[in-house]
Amino acid sequence: MKRRWFIPVAVLSALALALGGCGGDDGGGTEEGDGTITVFSLWGGSEQEAFQKVLDKFTADTGIKTKYESARDFLPVIRTRLAADNPPDVAIIPRPGVVAELARDESLIPLEDMGLDPDTINENYSDTWTSLATVDDKLYGVVAKANSKSTIWYKPTSFEQNSFQIPTTWDQLLDITQQYDSKGEKPWAVGAQGRDNSWTLTDWFENIYARKAGSDNYTKLFNGDLAFNDQTVKDSLREMLKIVNDKYVAGGIDTALSIGFVDGIGRVFSKNPVAEMYMEGGFVGGIALGDVNPDLKVGTDIDFFPWPTIDEANGNPLVGGGDVASAFVNNEDNKKLIEFLSTPEAGKIWVSTGAIASPNKGVTEADYPNELVAKEAEQLKTAESFLFDGSDLLPGTLGQDFGTLLQNIIKNPGQMDSLLDDYQSQAESAFAK
Amino acid sequence: MFRRQAWQGFLFILPAVVLLTVLVVWPMIRTIYFSFGETNSRLQSTRWVGFDNYERLFTKDKEFLNLEVFPPEGALINNLKWVVLYTSISLALGLLIAVLAVRVRYESLVKAIIFVPMAISATAVAIIWKFVYDPDPDVGSLNAVISLLGGDPITWYGRADVVNYALIFAYIWASTGFAMVVISAALKGISEEVLEAARTDGASEWDIFRRIQLPLLSLPLSVVTVWLLINVIKVFDIIYVMTGGGPGGSSEVIAFSMYDETFTNAEGGYGATMAVVMLLLIIPIMAFNVRRFRSERVVG
Amino acid sequence: MATAEAVVRPRARTTSARIVGFLQKSPVHIALLAISVIWLVPTVGLAVTSFRPRGDIQSSSWWSALTNWSFTLHNYNLVLENAKMGSSFVNSLIITIPSTLLPLALGSLAAYAFSWIAFPFRDTIFLIIVALMVVPIQMALVPLLILFRDLGVADWYVGIWLAHTAFGLPLGIFLLRNFFITLPRDLIEAARVDGASNMRIFLKVVLPLSVPALASFGIFQFLWVWNDLLMALIFVQNSDLWPMTIRINQMQSTYGIEWHLLSAGAFLLMIVPLLVFFALQRYFVQGLLAGSVK
Repeated sequence: MKRRWFIPVAVLSALALALGGCGGDDGGGTEEGDGTITVFSLWGGSEQEAFQKVLDKFTADTGIKTKYESARDFLPVIRTRLAADNPPDVAIIPRPGVVAELARDESLIPLEDMGLDPDTINENYSDTWTSLATVDDKLYGVVAKANSKSTIWYKPTSFEQNSFQIPTTWDQLLDITQQYDSKGEKPWAVGAQGRDNSWTLTDWFENIYARKAGSDNYTKLFNGDLAFNDQTVKDSLREMLKIVNDKYVAGGIDTALSIGFVDGIGRVFSKNPVAEMYMEGGFVGGIALGDVNPDLKVGTDIDFFPWPTIDEANGNPLVGGGDVASAFVNNEDNKKLIEFLSTPEAGKIWVSTGAIASPNKGVTEADYPNELVAKEAEQLKTAESFLFDGSDLLPGTLGQDFGTLLQNIIKNPGQMDSLLDDYQSQAESAFAK
Repeated sequence: MFRRQAWQGFLFILPAVVLLTVLVVWPMIRTIYFSFGETNSRLQSTRWVGFDNYERLFTKDKEFLNLEVFPPEGALINNLKWVVLYTSISLALGLLIAVLAVRVRYESLVKAIIFVPMAISATAVAIIWKFVYDPDPDVGSLNAVISLLGGDPITWYGRADVVNYALIFAYIWASTGFAMVVISAALKGISEEVLEAARTDGASEWDIFRRIQLPLLSLPLSVVTVWLLINVIKVFDIIYVMTGGGPGGSSEVIAFSMYDETFTNAEGGYGATMAVVMLLLIIPIMAFNVRRFRSERVVG
Repeated sequence: MATAEAVVRPRARTTSARIVGFLQKSPVHIALLAISVIWLVPTVGLAVTSFRPRGDIQSSSWWSALTNWSFTLHNYNLVLENAKMGSSFVNSLIITIPSTLLPLALGSLAAYAFSWIAFPFRDTIFLIIVALMVVPIQMALVPLLILFRDLGVADWYVGIWLAHTAFGLPLGIFLLRNFFITLPRDLIEAARVDGASNMRIFLKVVLPLSVPALASFGIFQFLWVWNDLLMALIFVQNSDLWPMTIRINQMQSTYGIEWHLLSAGAFLLMIVPLLVFFALQRYFVQGLLAGSVK
């Protein structure tokens, strides 16, 4: 009894022991895994279920268990986990700009160091895709899935009722927009709330800029070789404002800025829709059918058409994105998973869910379960030129801030010039680093 | 007479003091140190930059402080709006309800209704009010009322010019109960005879409130003010859940920018600078608390 | 209160006098009624919504459901199973209980010493602890993260337990010490004269007499931790371990603003605080008052 007050002393000494006993085992070489891989990504809902099928197959083949974790606010979670030296084993990273940053901080493991041969891994991919996972001539992962972002989602029955043709030029798209409006229908929905959804606006801009200013300017702009307050940028933004404005977006800009991108899909494809068209990537189909409204019928209730051309001289380049699977921990289990994700087999299982298109050459049209994804895959394959999602390539915080910039511009078009000037000065210092 | 027990006293406080030193004081010192440097994406400090972060914060970062427009904008200004509106309105409403409720028989019922939001998390408060503010007048109660009166629905959390007030009011809703309970308890301490005597002398209710009740409430009012101030300087959860800082960063406050810079942008040094600014804002309150405690000890 | 009224007011009031009294007070009644309605509507609206089928929520307002009853528990089923709110509920408990007990234990030990043992620098140390009460957690987030990395505890609950304990301790010590010093000096002196050790006095005399204060601080800390989002975002890293506050946020971004899910999720999050509040309201309010009004 009398010794009870030793409890605090015991607590203290335990703490002291723990404090002293900090050690790391950051040795080189590929170690044995512990039989379980944590895989981290930002997909939830139907996208997560689809990816789980790929992981299940991996477990069935190798006996290595997987634990899928996800968070929509991908970056903060990855950063806190890295800071705490508690990274997931493998992450599927949505932005190549982030891949480069994490690779240069030596957070990611080059595939070579894991004993994987980059050439074998790259066999099934075109250079466009492998370049996304390559940083300073080292390969850091495989592009697990690909998205076309040059897709506009619409309702075929509604187009039919109104005798609209699929638009192939920007003017035709603007015309359909006006006609919907004159009939009292809201033509567009946009979901661009806060930090997590502003990328829908960057996708709008990129599609317009690629077509209006051309691929060369596009590449220059997002590489820091062309100023963001350049006239070409302003011209493209004015085109964007012809659609993304209070008149044509359901609920106006205020609503667009207060709902997320899934809600935006819902405003067009839920059971009580308020708008007719939605512009976002190929993944919209999977989310619309899987999470928003499973009763949709492909081809009558929902379909997409490719972005129309704006300036014929610039053709119709495809803007797209890709997610890179990379390892944070160098062990045999992770090596096997990365290897598996690069195979046509994994790609086939994944596309069979209808959630994604695969950049893997071994995946063929016959592997796609519905025409939406097959069409997207076809679009990716046949694109006359492919441009990667520019804001995802911007260094540091510029990518995130570009979304915020566009939020402010659509809200206050009058301040476009000064907002662009500010952003450009920020970009200069970021690119200088 | 307890002198031989002195070492026991140290043993009793030792666990707490060790934890506070290792988990509060030492991290504070580290954060102050971080605020003069830069970090890599693993939040390890890499470079000493002196006062650069502070200079950037107050002169270059327009999302934090933009004095070029009128009225000024930025996270710091937003936080200032929070401090002024949240504190004064919570206090005034708490006082009003406490003073009114004491005059009716169903006092405890009213007080329970006002107080319940105190118990629930800011996350739940954010969801509850997001529902009230929903732009669709068939969903959002507030827009339903506006439509009923013939107005157009307002996207409360989608408009840069109203989003801060919408958030502030939701948080006032959650905190007024605290002010009310503390003030009400103090009011009960004022003897009923004094009030009745004043009434018999022909004093109006307003006179009674101003000349008798209010002066006696100065201590509890200052206590509530301090509590509200601390709460509002640290406000984060409700904004994170309801608006994510949007639209276009227009509802960010210091704590939100700190989270965003540190954990989204991996600018650990810059984020630390914002944390230090929060601490600087809170230090006067800290001093007030310590002084109050010391004066109480002299009295007791 | 009741006795005071009885003394001052004439005992027998006529009906008409009552009516006149009521009418004189009618502005007060109207104001209180209006305020109460404003305070109730938001919660009631979401509560009603959480029991409505998804289709109804999308096609009609929640107040129309008050006259047109059609309710279901399906939403709760959905969030508990598909959205993992069930396991998050357990996680919230696992996070909250140690984060409440630890500061209670360590705080009361320290508070006892600050009240009843004389030792050098006692008041100075106590004043420093009072000052630490208001330090914002933002001042410690990153260094704590790095500390937990060095301790190797970042992948489980230890980090969040320690962080909540440390940041709850100053208030705990302050509240409990303020209560402990009000205990009768004779009682403690008598125990000392009987040869009882400090530990014995603390456990057998002080703690049993301090149940209300311990309960007040315990409830306060419990609700604080249960309701926390920011610290969980940083210190609870593995998504299997997430508490309900984080899970609801994930739900919002994964499925969009689906009110049938969000409303049910929010109410699951609120159940425990509401139960605690209604069952232990007296202690909770006392705790608040003790922490504020001297």
